Amino acid sequence: MFYRLSGIKHTRYASSRALWPVTADRRIMQVLVALALLAPFFLSDLYLTSYMLPWLIWTAAALSLTLLMGMAGQLHFGFAAVLAIGAYTSIHLTRAGVPFEFALLGAGLMSAFIGVIFGAAALRVKGLYLVMATLAMQYLVEWVIINVPAISGGAQATLSTPDVTFLFVPLQSDASLYYMALLWTVVVTLLLLNIKRTSFGRALVAVRDKDFAAAVIGVDPVKYKLLAFFAASFLGGVTGAILAFCYYQAVTPEQFGFNVSIQLVAMVLVGGLGSVIGAYLGAGFVLLLPIVLTNVLAFVASYEWMPISFNLIAHIPLMVYGALIIGVLLYEPLGLAKIYDNLRKYFVVWPFRHTQS
Amino acid sequence: MTKTQEIVGQQTVLECEEVCRWFGGLQALKGITLTVKEGEIFGLVGPNGSGKTTLVNAITGFYPPQQGAIRFLGEPINGLRPHRIAQKGIARTFQNVALFKGLSVLDNILLGRHIFMRPSSLASLFYWWWAQKEEVSHRVKVEEVIDLLQLESVRDQPVDVIPLGMQKRVELARALCAEPRFLVLDEPMAGMNQEEKEYMVRFILDARDAMGVTMLLIEHHMDVVTAICNRAVVLNNGEKIAEGPTREAINDPAVVAAYIGKTQDAA
Repeated sequence: MFYRLSGIKHTRYASSRALWPVTADRRIMQVLVALALLAPFFLSDLYLTSYMLPWLIWTAAALSLTLLMGMAGQLHFGFAAVLAIGAYTSIHLTRAGVPFEFALLGAGLMSAFIGVIFGAAALRVKGLYLVMATLAMQYLVEWVIINVPAISGGAQATLSTPDVTFLFVPLQSDASLYYMALLWTVVVTLLLLNIKRTSFGRALVAVRDKDFAAAVIGVDPVKYKLLAFFAASFLGGVTGAILAFCYYQAVTPEQFGFNVSIQLVAMVLVGGLGSVIGAYLGAGFVLLLPIVLTNVLAFVASYEWMPISFNLIAHIPLMVYGALIIGVLLYEPLGLAKIYDNLRKYFVVWPFRHTQS
Repeated sequence: MTKTQEIVGQQTVLECEEVCRWFGGLQALKGITLTVKEGEIFGLVGPNGSGKTTLVNAITGFYPPQQGAIRFLGEPINGLRPHRIAQKGIARTFQNVALFKGLSVLDNILLGRHIFMRPSSLASLFYWWWAQKEEVSHRVKVEEVIDLLQLESVRDQPVDVIPLGMQKRVELARALCAEPRFLVLDEPMAGMNQEEKEYMVRFILDARDAMGVTMLLIEHHMDVVTAICNRAVVLNNGEKIAEGPTREAINDPAVVAAYIGKTQDAA
C-alpha cells in the first residue's frame, strides 16, 4: 500500500479500464495468486481443508449473492436453497453417469431456472416484499428436498458424492479439491470484476438505482432483473455443487437451511454490498472469526487465570461475533471493503489528507 | 436567426394527435395536438400542473395516452414500453436529475450507449476477447460527447459529488450519447444560476448543431424559451391555449391571463 498514484497516466482507453490500472495493485494481486497456488505446499492439511477451502467456496457463494443483492439490488434471503438445488442436481447427475464437468453445468442451469421462477416475483415487488418471496423459495425448496425421497434419498438420508474427475484429474486428494475450489472462485471473481466494467453490469446498476431512468435510455428493467436472477442463481448452483463435492462430500438438507441463507446475507453486508473484495473479507469474517474467537478463548481459559465455565466458553464467541458484526456495520455501513478502501486511500496520499474520488 | 431557419427542415419528427390522459377522475391532458419539425427546438411552457410533464411522459411511454395517437417519424409509438421507445431514437432528461448514483460520471454517460451495445454476462466473462473491443469503440463516441459538453474534469468522479449544474450536463451527455433523433429536455435549467443557465443554453445549441437532434424543451425561464425556441406551445389545465412562433405564443392574451391572471381579477 505504500505507493503513489501520481504520474500514473493512461494513454489508451483499454489500459485505463484494466482490472488493476495501478501497477502496484497488479503486483499485490500477483503475489496473492502465487500464495493461493502454493498454499497446498506450505499449509498443513488441517488449515488447507478446514480453513482455506471453505473460505474460498463461501467466497464464491457470497460473490454470486453480491451480484444479485449488491449490483442488481434484488434482495434474496433464500440463497442457500439455490446452493442446495445445485448440490443435489450435481450429485444426482454424476450418479446417473454424467461427467462431472457437465454435471456442474446442469447444476447451474437447474438452479438458474428455479431461481428465475421465484425471481419473477421481483418484477412486481421490491424490498421487504421481495425478501418474503425469496424466503418462500427457501422453505419450499427445503420442503421439497426433504419430502421427495427421489431427491433426498429418503427420510433423514445423507447423500454422499461419488468419486469424480475434472478434466481428467481425479478429485480425491486434498490438494486437487482445493485447486478445484480455487479455480471456480477465480472464475467467479474475474466474471464479477468484468461485469462491473462492461455494459451488462452498468445496466444492472441502472435498474437498481432508478428503473424508470434505466428504461428511458433503453434498458429493459424486466429483462435485466430476470437476467440478474438467472446469472446469480447459475453461479450459486455451480457453487453449491462445488461445495458438495469439494467440501461436504456428503449432503443433507440441513446443510442448506435458513440460517445458511442468513449467513450468506451477513457475508455480503459485512463485506460491502456489490464489492468483490468485500465478498472475500465478508466470507472470511463470518466463517473464520467464530473459529478464531473460540480458539482465543480456549487459549485464555487454558491458563486458568479465572474460572470460566464450559457454558460460557461456548457462548462468549457467539456474543462477541454478533457484537462485531453490528460494530462493523455501525462504524462503516458500506462494510469491510470500504474500510479497506479508506485505509488504502489514507496511505496512498500520506502524509497529506486530500484524495480525489 | 438565418442559421436556425436553415436547420429547420420540413419533415415531421413528432406528431401528437388529440392526446388524452386521465388519472382517475382527473383529466391531465385534454386532447393535445402538436407537431415538431426536424431540427426545431420546440418550447413547451405552461404554469405548474398544466400537463407538460404528463405530455412528455405520454410521449416517452411512462403514461401511455388512453386516447389519441403519438407518431414518431410517421410510426405510431403509443403503447410501446419506455425502453422500446428509447431504442427508436427518443431520449429525455428529467426535471429532477435522474442519474445513477452508484456509478461514475463516465459510466453514467457510457450507459447512454446501451442501445448500441450487446450486453451479456458471457461476453463479460470473456472480456478480453468478446467485450473489450466494443467497450473501447463506444468509449470513443462517449469521449466526443464529453468533449462537446466540457465534462473532462469530472469524468472519473462519482456522479453524486459533483454540483447540480454539472449533473444536469451529465444527464444531457447521457441522452446525447444515444444519438437520438428527438430529445426531450424537462426543465434543464431548473435551480441554476444565470451563468450556469447561459452555459446550458450554449450546450443545447451546440448539441443541436453538432448532432442534428430535434428538441422539445420544457422550461420556466421565459428568457431562455424566447431566446432559443423556434416555436412554442402553451398548456394550461391540460389544454393547449396558444401555439406558434415563440414570442407570439407567449404574448398571447390567454397565456398572460393563465400565468398572471386577468386585469379584472386584480383586487
